[in-house]
Amino acid sequence: MSNTLLDVRNLRTEFATQDGIVHAVNGVSFVLEEGETLGLVGESGSGKSVSMLTVMRLIPMPPGRIPSGEVIFQGNDLLKLSAEEMRQIRGNKIAMVFQDPMTSLNPVLTIGTQITEALELHMGMNNEQARKRAAELLKMVNIPEAERRLDDYPHQFSGGMRQRVMIAIGLSCSPQLLIADEPTTALDVTIQAQITDIVKRLKRELGMAIIWITHDLGVIAGLADRINVMYSGYIVETAPTKELFANPLHPYTVGLLGSIPRLDEGKREKLTPIEGLPPDLVNLPVGCPFYDRCRFRTEKCLQENPPLMSVGVKHWSACWNYEDVRQQRDAILKRTALPVAGTPQS
Amino acid sequence: MATTTIDLPAAQVELEKKARPAWLETWQRFARNKPALLGLLIIILLVLTALFAELLAPYDYRQTNLDAVEQPPSAAHWLGTDAIGRDMLSRLIFGARSVVFVMFVVATLTFTLGLLLGAIAGYFGGWSDTLISRLIDFLFAFPSLLFIFFIAATIKPGLVESLRSFALANNMPWLTDFVRSGYADYLVVMISLSILGWAGLARLVRGQILSLREKEFVLGAQAVGVPHWRIITRYLLPNSLAPIFVAISLGLGSIALSEGILAYLGVGLQPPNPSWGNIIAEHSVRYWRTWPEMIWMIFIPFAVIASVVFAFNFVGDGLNEALNPELHD
Repeated sequence: MSNTLLDVRNLRTEFATQDGIVHAVNGVSFVLEEGETLGLVGESGSGKSVSMLTVMRLIPMPPGRIPSGEVIFQGNDLLKLSAEEMRQIRGNKIAMVFQDPMTSLNPVLTIGTQITEALELHMGMNNEQARKRAAELLKMVNIPEAERRLDDYPHQFSGGMRQRVMIAIGLSCSPQLLIADEPTTALDVTIQAQITDIVKRLKRELGMAIIWITHDLGVIAGLADRINVMYSGYIVETAPTKELFANPLHPYTVGLLGSIPRLDEGKREKLTPIEGLPPDLVNLPVGCPFYDRCRFRTEKCLQENPPLMSVGVKHWSACWNYEDVRQQRDAILKRTALPVAGTPQS
Repeated sequence: MATTTIDLPAAQVELEKKARPAWLETWQRFARNKPALLGLLIIILLVLTALFAELLAPYDYRQTNLDAVEQPPSAAHWLGTDAIGRDMLSRLIFGARSVVFVMFVVATLTFTLGLLLGAIAGYFGGWSDTLISRLIDFLFAFPSLLFIFFIAATIKPGLVESLRSFALANNMPWLTDFVRSGYADYLVVMISLSILGWAGLARLVRGQILSLREKEFVLGAQAVGVPHWRIITRYLLPNSLAPIFVAISLGLGSIALSEGILAYLGVGLQPPNPSWGNIIAEHSVRYWRTWPEMIWMIFIPFAVIASVVFAFNFVGDGLNEALNPELHD
């Protein structure tokens, strides 16, 4: 693909709490190309939101701390910028859309004021220009009667409309990167589909890169070029989307896929949940963090935490026993082996 | 007819509902509370009286008339006269000016300090929060009356004297008038009241901001790159205004009461300048012995102070009901 937009290297985030230090993100590295869509998947507490908030430098410090890492965005390490320089980047070059549209807008300011905020701050627009642009943005996210609705307050909008407003705010300064933190989780399914459609269309039109955080593999399947699967602060598997669904090589990814209800399955088939709970982030194990819940575990997993290992074309997995996973996963997923494009046959 | 309203298309009803702005709805809720409305009326009267005291007072509040001392209420003196024949009504009217002046200055100072320090403590947290919160705790535990007496006894005479000589030396007649009016005596009281009084408001603002700071829209604003001060002034404070208004309204009542108490105890405005507190003080020494005759001499200024304090409390309660979304349907 084209140029590297974002290069995250060995990023760590910790929080000092009364119970000890919570290791929320534990050495995350990945590269995002310009215009690429990256899915960040994992359960609650897997560090997907925190890692992105760290990229945005929106972690409250204290108690938060970034003991190591580099976040190289367009050649600059964001972690080394001053607070003021970072503020210039937020909303301007990197924008973020949050999960809950019901609480993400300021109830006492009009929708128009909140959209124009970023335009006036970063683009130096005057009130009139910003208002015109705000109306365009609202039209772009399919809000009818955009001009009139600029003077409405958030409580006069429905949840789906508010999320579209949030996206409009995110897009207002034409950022190179949009980080969407579970933007559809709080919405019902039809609205989810609308929002993802809007984002897909806008991505085509505007050509920005997107990092889409979710715990819903179904939502991300049609959206992302590549998926990072996160577990207790580590990236445990990363692969192009099709490859990941066809050829999962980490027990956790297999577990996630097994927990998706399927329409083409027999009537009485039960879902295969992942047993157990993720490890305590205060006392992370020396070995693999997935050990307790893993059906492929061996002695080695207890002693040494597996690094990401190349297991295919653009495909990395952090599992010592990925060959076992390859052989047994289809039985677990109750499916016939899917054809895998571009994977070296072992 | 009831049926016609039901027959209205839903969209039209929606439109009519929208046309009514939020402040009007708040006002209607407030107006439903009759004591609060009465309180508001009293407060408006108080402020007007203070502003137009010269026009309203039938006599000069300093003018004595030894032919008409201790008169009961009559057509010439509506509220009677005091022991040296001064018109009680005129003294009460100028007393209103004293109390409004003190309330205005103290409220402005405490409001500014409380809002500023509370917002800093709540938003930035860390050592600034620790410092400000400990200061608030300290002020809450502090014997405030004692502090004011201390200031009045030690700093005040020197300050008033130096102000007077400064005015004379620099030929500033307005300052000379100000010192002579007795309000310079008040400066010290007002500053001490303000120093002590911001703590309650600051604690309230801090709490509000602490809870609002965790709201997603603040994170959203930060993600858009809105600067800290803009977040505080446009995102946090406007969302915490309702309880702040209520606290200020209740606070004004207690400032009025403090003014009365301090004047009564002789720390505030000095006679012959009139303050409701020192009118009660003068009269209570003399007239409690004559009970039940002449009791209006104490009762009238007392009723005036009490009604003002009640008025602010009623308005505070009314605001609380009108602004607190959890209290109305």
